[in-house]
Amino acid sequence: MTQVPDQTPIPAAGPVGGATRGPWARVARDFARSPLAMTALVVLALVVLAAVFAPLLTPQNPYDLMQLDIMDGMLEPGSPSAAGGYTYLLGTDDQGRDLFSAILYGLRISLSVGVVAALVAALVGASLGLFAAYVGGRTETAIMRLVDLQLSFPSILVALMILAFLGKGVQNVVLALIIVEWASYARTARGTALVESRREYIQAADCLGVPMSRIIFRHLLPNCLPPLIVMATIQVARAISLEATLSFLGLGVPVTEPSLGLLISNGYQYLLSGQYWLSFYPGIALLVTIVAINLVGDQFRDVFNPKGRG
Amino acid sequence: MVQAKAQRESSPLLSVRNLRTSFQVEGRWTRVLNDVSFEIGNRQTLAVVGESGSGKSVTAMSIMRLLPPATSRIEGEVLFRGRDLLKLPSEEMRRIRGSDIAMIFQETSLNPVYTIGFHMVETLRQHRNLSAAEARREAVALLDKVRIPSAASRLDDYAHQFSGGMRQRVMIAIALACNPKLLIADEPTTALDVTIQAQILQTLRDLQAEEDMSILFITHDMGVVAEMSDRTIVMYHGDAVEEGETRRIFAAPGAPYTRSLLAAVPRLGEMAESPGPSRFPVIDRATGAVVTPAASGSVPDGSAPIVLQVEDLVKRFDIHGGTFGGLTGRVHAVEKVSFDIREGETLSLVGESGCGKSTTGRTIMGLTSPTGGSVRMEGREIGSLGRRELRMTRRRMQMIFQDPISSLNARMTVGAAIAEPFLVHKLGGKAQARDKVAYLLERVGLRPDMANRYPHEFSGGQRQRISLARALILDPKLIIADESVSALDVSVKAQVINLMLDLQSQLKLSYLFISHDMAVVERVSHRVAVMYLGEIVEIGARAAVFGNPQHPYTRKLLSAVPVADPDQRGQRRVEAGELKSPVRAVDFVPPGREYREVSAGHWVQLADNRSW
Repeated sequence: MTQVPDQTPIPAAGPVGGATRGPWARVARDFARSPLAMTALVVLALVVLAAVFAPLLTPQNPYDLMQLDIMDGMLEPGSPSAAGGYTYLLGTDDQGRDLFSAILYGLRISLSVGVVAALVAALVGASLGLFAAYVGGRTETAIMRLVDLQLSFPSILVALMILAFLGKGVQNVVLALIIVEWASYARTARGTALVESRREYIQAADCLGVPMSRIIFRHLLPNCLPPLIVMATIQVARAISLEATLSFLGLGVPVTEPSLGLLISNGYQYLLSGQYWLSFYPGIALLVTIVAINLVGDQFRDVFNPKGRG
Repeated sequence: MVQAKAQRESSPLLSVRNLRTSFQVEGRWTRVLNDVSFEIGNRQTLAVVGESGSGKSVTAMSIMRLLPPATSRIEGEVLFRGRDLLKLPSEEMRRIRGSDIAMIFQETSLNPVYTIGFHMVETLRQHRNLSAAEARREAVALLDKVRIPSAASRLDDYAHQFSGGMRQRVMIAIALACNPKLLIADEPTTALDVTIQAQILQTLRDLQAEEDMSILFITHDMGVVAEMSDRTIVMYHGDAVEEGETRRIFAAPGAPYTRSLLAAVPRLGEMAESPGPSRFPVIDRATGAVVTPAASGSVPDGSAPIVLQVEDLVKRFDIHGGTFGGLTGRVHAVEKVSFDIREGETLSLVGESGCGKSTTGRTIMGLTSPTGGSVRMEGREIGSLGRRELRMTRRRMQMIFQDPISSLNARMTVGAAIAEPFLVHKLGGKAQARDKVAYLLERVGLRPDMANRYPHEFSGGQRQRISLARALILDPKLIIADESVSALDVSVKAQVINLMLDLQSQLKLSYLFISHDMAVVERVSHRVAVMYLGEIVEIGARAAVFGNPQHPYTRKLLSAVPVADPDQRGQRRVEAGELKSPVRAVDFVPPGREYREVSAGHWVQLADNRSW
């Protein structure tokens, strides 16, 4: 730290360090303070990488019937394949599908559904919330009553109704999740924006003749982001588990694109007959993913909330 | 026996020796108090004065042992009536707190769900073993003692039913409940209006004589120091740089820092001779040598063009209530306010909180739309302009806000923040903007390479400079400064004011200077308008209004200001009274007001039979 000498006689010169760091750099530094959160972040990164590079990491494509060998059906974890060449690390299902491969492919579906749903919901919800806060009046009332209405129904019920109406399918699940989740973003965004828009820098921008759209996107939005980021992180986990629930109930993704939830559901009938691995390992994968995301989200919340720091 | 008693009489009540306090910050011990020593005798008042971060509050907290033991370390001796408080078991220390030594703070700490009486009775029963009925009687007596009108009936009121000044009185009453020998007052009047502050200070002085107690008074305000204390310690960065009799310190400050601090304090009445504003002298705080002497600012002549003309400006806010959200009343925030400002001139709006001075500024700026009246900027009526013209005209006036922290977007570099208005108004390209930002940063006393930094890397005073630079990039004629220096430390305040005066004479800027601080206003303005309940009650040249105040409210306001001169202490008495509310019924019609011209350009509202 080199103290920069002040040219002017300003005695109370701030703690001006050598290098300049933006607010986001500070967030990164504070985030790295917690070993638990860093572990969770690493685990999450591994999970995401495993899902992205699933074709390279798995011995077979579990949904290419040509690669399955019915003779390998219901093998315990660690069994070698009949044709040789590789080991079924986590066992196989009744069609000889390698469960490890199925889990990685399932992660792809689960993660992409969760992330896409959470991000689109965040975009829609946050825009509506910011708009409501800045415009006010009847528009605000209309949007916020819609939010109240949406939030007064249990999300699983709403999602089930939508899917019963639209039918199965990855897109339909994503759509259902967006409809279920946008409202909570809108509420958070409006609350934060109401506080921020009374701050003096917004008024200063007003005085300086900065146009409204620029005030909303350059000034209001970046300062409302912290709570929204926390929420989006945790909502990804929520979306994944909701998708798993829907798939488990048979209303989620189709059998041709099985997610972790569907894998659990498929193995469920064998759970008590000794083939525990069919449900157990997909369940562990789901658990690890969700816990890692939640830990990362919790740390974000602590970093962004100065009051939370002791 | 007699000898022992006599000895106790002569020995000081509190004697602090080599007090050293350290805090643990991120694993490292950092010293925040360096060998502070002082004594307080019986019935004496000792002021601890310093700017933020000087360690004045830490001194009090260390004496009371109120710092978290895990992350703080207190060394030295704190002898209270001969006993070392730092060595007492914590149980005993707790008994001393609140009984022998009481404390009051800037913020009143009353639990909002209990009545005032509950708070007081609780304290009395705990510390003095009184029965419920006795405690209640005693509570009424205490409220009487701190001059709360009709004390008995107010005992069952809640904290929110009291005004800020009255709440502070309640806190003093609670502090007095156990007849403390020492009262530690930590900035007790900082959050209060001047007239209320004057009343509280007076009450404290009276009580000190009645109750035979000593006061340790912590403050940043040299005026309050001069008003209150027998002895003074000046703190700077954890060191007691000077200690002595208050009169001596004001008359002949020894330490260079004290000298620079006192030079930065405006004293009411010292400007009687000069017509215009005046720069503060700058004194090197290491050597005490005068760097630049005080100098008069420019005075515009009578022929300078009028920049801003405000006529009969009215702003009312509707209050909705009831089941159907109907109109239940109106806040008459600004009522028929008229004035004009010439080029290169500073007009100050002064008044206490709730008088409508900020709303006036915001309405002129267009942050809220006026209910009535007209605002003309350089001859153009703002209400009649279209969107485009309004934006053009608005460029000619700019506003600087009070809070140096929240008036800059934390997620934008300083350079981007200053350049933004230039770019959105399409006054030039990016390269031009960069050049202009560099030029303006230098102009406000910062370095051009600071443009790449974020606001959190700057101190409060530097941030106000940045706000000034941002306002100046549009080449405005008028700057509305809404309490722009109120949140700054004394010496920083003086520097920012000097900068504003320099900019005024160089750029022929006009200022609408909104402030509650009479002493600062006297220093910076050419003309002054005093506001009360949304109306201007007196307006005129600064020398005329301060030298020959005509309206009773102006006089009251002036007499309430603590003057940084111990020789003038206690010459003025302020009548108790609370600021009235500007909330009126829906059908209220404001009475017509008439003004009388006292001397050329000095107008005063004809007083009605309101009590002032």
